[in-house]
Amino acid sequence: MATLIELKNVEKHYGSFKALTGINLNIDEGEVICVIGPSGSGKSTMIRCINLLEQYDPDGEIIVDGIKVQKGKNLKDVRAEVGMVFQNFNLFPHLTILKNIMLAPMRVKGTDEKTAEKTARALLAKVGIETQANKYPSQLSGGQQQRVAIARALAMEPKVLLFDEPTSALDPEMVGEVLDVIKVLATSGVTMIVVTHEMGFARQVADRVIFMDDGQVIEQGTPKQIFDDPQEQRTKSFLKAVLKH
Amino acid sequence: MLKKNLICFILALVFLPVFSPAQEREGAILVGANIGNVPWEFQDTDGSFIGFEIDLVNEIGQRLGRDVEIVNIPFNGLFSAVQSGRIDIAISSIGITDRRLESVSFTQPYYDSDQSLTTVIGSGIESLDDLRGQIVAVDTGSTGDIWATENMEKYGFSEIRRYEGLAPAMLDVVIGRVKGYISDIPALLYYTRDKPNLAVVERIPTGGRYALMMGKNAPLVIDVNTVISTLKQEGFVNGLHTKWFGIPAEDNTSTVEVRSMPMPDVELASNFVETFLNMDVFMQTYPMLIAGLGTTIQLGILAIVAGLIVGLGVALVRLYALLPFQIIAKVYIDIFRSIPLLVLLIIIFYALPFVGISLSPFYAAAVTLTLVSGSYTAEIFRAGIEAIPKGQFEASQALGLNYRDMMKDVILPQAIKIVIPPLTNNCINVIKDTALASVVAMPDLLKQATQAQAVAANPTPLIAAAVIYLAFLLPLVLWVSRLEVKFKVGDR
Repeated sequence: MATLIELKNVEKHYGSFKALTGINLNIDEGEVICVIGPSGSGKSTMIRCINLLEQYDPDGEIIVDGIKVQKGKNLKDVRAEVGMVFQNFNLFPHLTILKNIMLAPMRVKGTDEKTAEKTARALLAKVGIETQANKYPSQLSGGQQQRVAIARALAMEPKVLLFDEPTSALDPEMVGEVLDVIKVLATSGVTMIVVTHEMGFARQVADRVIFMDDGQVIEQGTPKQIFDDPQEQRTKSFLKAVLKH
Repeated sequence: MLKKNLICFILALVFLPVFSPAQEREGAILVGANIGNVPWEFQDTDGSFIGFEIDLVNEIGQRLGRDVEIVNIPFNGLFSAVQSGRIDIAISSIGITDRRLESVSFTQPYYDSDQSLTTVIGSGIESLDDLRGQIVAVDTGSTGDIWATENMEKYGFSEIRRYEGLAPAMLDVVIGRVKGYISDIPALLYYTRDKPNLAVVERIPTGGRYALMMGKNAPLVIDVNTVISTLKQEGFVNGLHTKWFGIPAEDNTSTVEVRSMPMPDVELASNFVETFLNMDVFMQTYPMLIAGLGTTIQLGILAIVAGLIVGLGVALVRLYALLPFQIIAKVYIDIFRSIPLLVLLIIIFYALPFVGISLSPFYAAAVTLTLVSGSYTAEIFRAGIEAIPKGQFEASQALGLNYRDMMKDVILPQAIKIVIPPLTNNCINVIKDTALASVVAMPDLLKQATQAQAVAANPTPLIAAAVIYLAFLLPLVLWVSRLEVKFKVGDR
């Protein structure tokens, strides 16, 4: 499998606070990665560096599909290949569901309106909410909104999908419907990096699980290795805490 | 009919406090004067009021055994001031006219005057005939204004520009924005005597007679008129002529001879409705007011649209440009929100010509209003954009939208919803502020109303202008209130 994303010695400072320390990762095409770890361990910061929502320190380097992630005219090429789903959905409240999905293909790729609408309706069907196409985001439940957000990211046909705690803002009864959509995506061949607190989900879908703490990658491996046979003390105590109940 | 009476009653209540006759107050006689009108009433270097008419009213007060208190009031404010009883007597070389006599009373005249044309020496304008196709300056509502308006066609003036007194008018004559100034000859002879670049080039015989103006049939008129007769017989008035003009007046002039008090051709009832809601005056001045409204709306719309564009641009620079440009934007916003509009307008209109930028009154007002409105609009847009959650920017960026599309399709449509109520408020202010443009001789609604008021010597046009402003702005005000309620209960 070819390497799609490379992180080389990625570090990030907020003033004197060090949020990321020496991150080195290679992610293959089609790989599904789940990133776990305590709050404030740098999970979100790391994936936000991949599409440059956060600027990492200049010594490190991130390469996506052969393109260096940095400010400048290459950035739009990177962002065209990297889709993102946010914890708080971040749908555009003034646009209908359909228009939310159609906007980026039309503006960024120059897709004509008819094609964009056709694609958008197909994607809505895929995430199971085709009947809501003409509603506004505020008229939908949280779970439905997050599924729209996933469809919106997919409309750009990205090679990589980043999920930043996609179920953390949801009421418990809606978590399942969103995870189900992500599970289906995981089997479709798209490369995914999912920051999550859902350990059962991670065990089920991940090809590789990365455990982070204190801005560093502490341990990584298959779900079986990480959940059943963790090597590091910090991994063990984290899992013990979250899996207790 | 009942409804009409009710409206009158309400208006009467509103105006009652200023409408009580001044004569009933004991003590000083209040005299309104357009200070700066040399040599009739002006300030000497230590700030005290001096002049021909100041001396005259002081002497009259002494003879009547009452103190005299001088109040500085612009020329076209004197008419409503005597009518409302805010002052007892108005002075400012006010000419007796039949129109004015319908609404106010005059004493006998004490000075015979003509109008005059004043120009810059070497400007090529040496008589009224040279003014064809040129702009002339006058004082709003003055005898010169009335004469110039009546003779506009005859002499082919391209425009009559109306100023609030001699100083600003002469400034524009010197700058060259207007070619001549038509005003009372004595004042101009006095003014130009020590200015070698200016000359009174033509006397315009209008048979003007200056007198003290007082409220319609005020009890004091007879007493004051009697004193003036005595002062003429004693030679006191001619003594003032010698004091202020260097030579005595000729024998057959009203400075020397006792004259009768001027009386109106038709005696009108002087009550509240006739004074403030005079239908005849309204019908006569209505076309002027509508023309003024047209100018006000044009200026308002131009300044609002330009202000929105400037404001949005500055807001974006202030938020997202490189740091030096951000600082420039912030300085612009802070300065233009701090400087009073009137000061800025006067600087732009009167000072810029000295560095080679000479704007017409309309464009000077438009530029001023745009600069100030732009600074407020910039802050409104900035607040609106900053109220949009960070996630909206991040989602747009993650989708690969460029900056322009992000602003156009995602951020601004949401921000506009937030900023519409404050923006509309700002628009209302801009339209109201267009009234300030009357100081640079722009014929907006207020200017037209004050001029009509001075010509007719009746405040009805001002009331009409107030009603027009109200009819125009009240719906906007109500609309903003509705929007504010609507957006408060909205989903965002």
